[in-house]
Amino acid sequence: MHKFVGVALAAMLAIAGCGGSKEQASSTGAPAKGQRLRFAVIPKALSIPVFNYAKLGAERQAKEYGNVDILWNAPADADQLKQKEILESAITQRVDGIAISALNGDFLTDTINKAIDAGIPVVTWDSDAPKSKRYAFYGVDDFASGKIMGEETIRLLDGKGKVAIITSVGATNLQRRLDGVREALAKAPGIQIVEVFDIKEDVVRCAELIATGTKRYPDLGAWVSVGGWPVFTRNATASIDASKTKVISFDTIQPALDLLREGKVTVLLGQKYFGWGSESVKLLYDIKAGKMPSQQIIDSGVDVVTKDNVDDYATKWKKMEAGS
Amino acid sequence: MNLKKIWEVREFSTVVILALEILFFTWYLWPDGSRSHPFFNAPNFVLIFKYSAIYGIAAVGAAIVIISGGIDLAPGAVMALSGVVASQLFVERGWGLGTSMTTGVLVGLVSGLVTSVLVVVVKLPPFIATLGVMGITRGLAFIITEGRYFDVSSQLLGGWRPFGLPADWVAPIIMILLALVFQFLMTTFQWGRAVFSVGGNETAALFSGIAVNRIKTSVYVISGVLAAVSGVVLVLVQGQGKADLATGYELDIIASAVVGGASLAGGRGSVIGAVLGTLIFGVLRNALPQIPGATFYDRLIVGLVVIVIVVVDQLLLKKRG
Repeated sequence: MHKFVGVALAAMLAIAGCGGSKEQASSTGAPAKGQRLRFAVIPKALSIPVFNYAKLGAERQAKEYGNVDILWNAPADADQLKQKEILESAITQRVDGIAISALNGDFLTDTINKAIDAGIPVVTWDSDAPKSKRYAFYGVDDFASGKIMGEETIRLLDGKGKVAIITSVGATNLQRRLDGVREALAKAPGIQIVEVFDIKEDVVRCAELIATGTKRYPDLGAWVSVGGWPVFTRNATASIDASKTKVISFDTIQPALDLLREGKVTVLLGQKYFGWGSESVKLLYDIKAGKMPSQQIIDSGVDVVTKDNVDDYATKWKKMEAGS
Repeated sequence: MNLKKIWEVREFSTVVILALEILFFTWYLWPDGSRSHPFFNAPNFVLIFKYSAIYGIAAVGAAIVIISGGIDLAPGAVMALSGVVASQLFVERGWGLGTSMTTGVLVGLVSGLVTSVLVVVVKLPPFIATLGVMGITRGLAFIITEGRYFDVSSQLLGGWRPFGLPADWVAPIIMILLALVFQFLMTTFQWGRAVFSVGGNETAALFSGIAVNRIKTSVYVISGVLAAVSGVVLVLVQGQGKADLATGYELDIIASAVVGGASLAGGRGSVIGAVLGTLIFGVLRNALPQIPGATFYDRLIVGLVVIVIVVVDQLLLKKRG
């Protein structure tokens, strides 16, 4: 009986083995007129809420062009190997362009280069793969935004106190933000970083760490989070006494703005969530039409949101969400 | 082999489902105009094999453990640890490629032995024993890396061609060879038949003179070693040793073995079936994202596939009597 299955396996391998040379020849060039463009847009994970706005942005832009299909795909959780598999299948499936937010830029560098060599343009967004040959990166200047967070922290704490930082180890962009925070905080000798917590892109783990950290450091001046995990849920910050401890966090999607209004959170840094999707699609579309990006790093800028401007920001957001 | 006999082959339903799956996606994803087929093309099949092999090599071991009536929850963690050890020795300690990778595989041997001792000597249920080993091996991987990773690809450089083959073929070839070897061992050797007997009825096996403890030791050691081979292959092909790689893969591996005909009650199953099971999931992972909007259905479909295949398999089993 193993013979039968063995033959089946051998046959499949034979299919896989032959004709390997064909792909190199047919991989480049603009699509024929009237043909639809298929862009693979790959976030870090399906389980991270901010990326839904990127999806909205990408799909809206695709609709505007009329001849673009968005293949939105990512690992369910932040699984680097699965993300690489998705990227590689986008290449063998010969999509017309790839826009990716890299979980681990170095891990994907070879594969991104392979895509470029196969004639598939790649742009990165949100999280870059700086060593790769990708055409462009659209996102925040992570180091600068980290510095903003650090400076806001110094301002809020009057230059003295204990600070705990929340990050997720592995992603280049988060590391850059962390470096920025550290550099800014180093300018205030009265500020002491008590710990840098790795929450592994896990919102629940983040809530747990904040709860235990709050107990361990009752005199903590501020939590600084280089990702939006503390503000993605209502209860993550519940254990914090807002009169004693400030929260400075990345990301502004709800319930973050409500938490800001309620005083649970003091400063939020908003990214161009819709732009991640729409700008990436625009970049790919232009590249396919022969128009190269004007620069490799396209700084999207950040919105610093505090109690003073939260209502303006919310109004702007609603407009974006509705697509007007 | 006549038609009736083929119907009775254990792996039959798995092969049929795999074939139907490939046919379906080939039809559904048929390209318009002059565009080449996005799914049914040679490089894409190599890719499916390449990623399925990561699960498939370990699934060979998992199937054998399940046939023996046990369960192994450690493969994902063992993959990570063996990969981390092998890549650290290679990148940081400057060991040779061969010795580093062999040491990585030995990690699996040790973890398999530890599991065996816990199951055979300490008499822990395999679920608990391997749950513990899973935590320990994953923990060691994190302790070794401290959140870093070891970049093997920078040392191997682009043109790494073992035995003159493209690097992408390494994992599939190892998977197919191991599947054939263990299928042969399981079906024609006394050891293989003993594994089936132990899983079918341990007491009966004991009374018929089978060294049950020795058989149990062997299956956990094999499972550990094969998971480690998966881990080493993962590092070689993917280029990084990292502590959080392959997190949660043990469940995918067990699911593959079950879809391939293995019964969690023990006593039945197939090594080749387990490998076919990984290919069924591999095709799903590869093709579903091609359909706009389908990505969120991925998990649901995988769950349904597991249930449907096992139900069909049981119906066929009843029919066979």
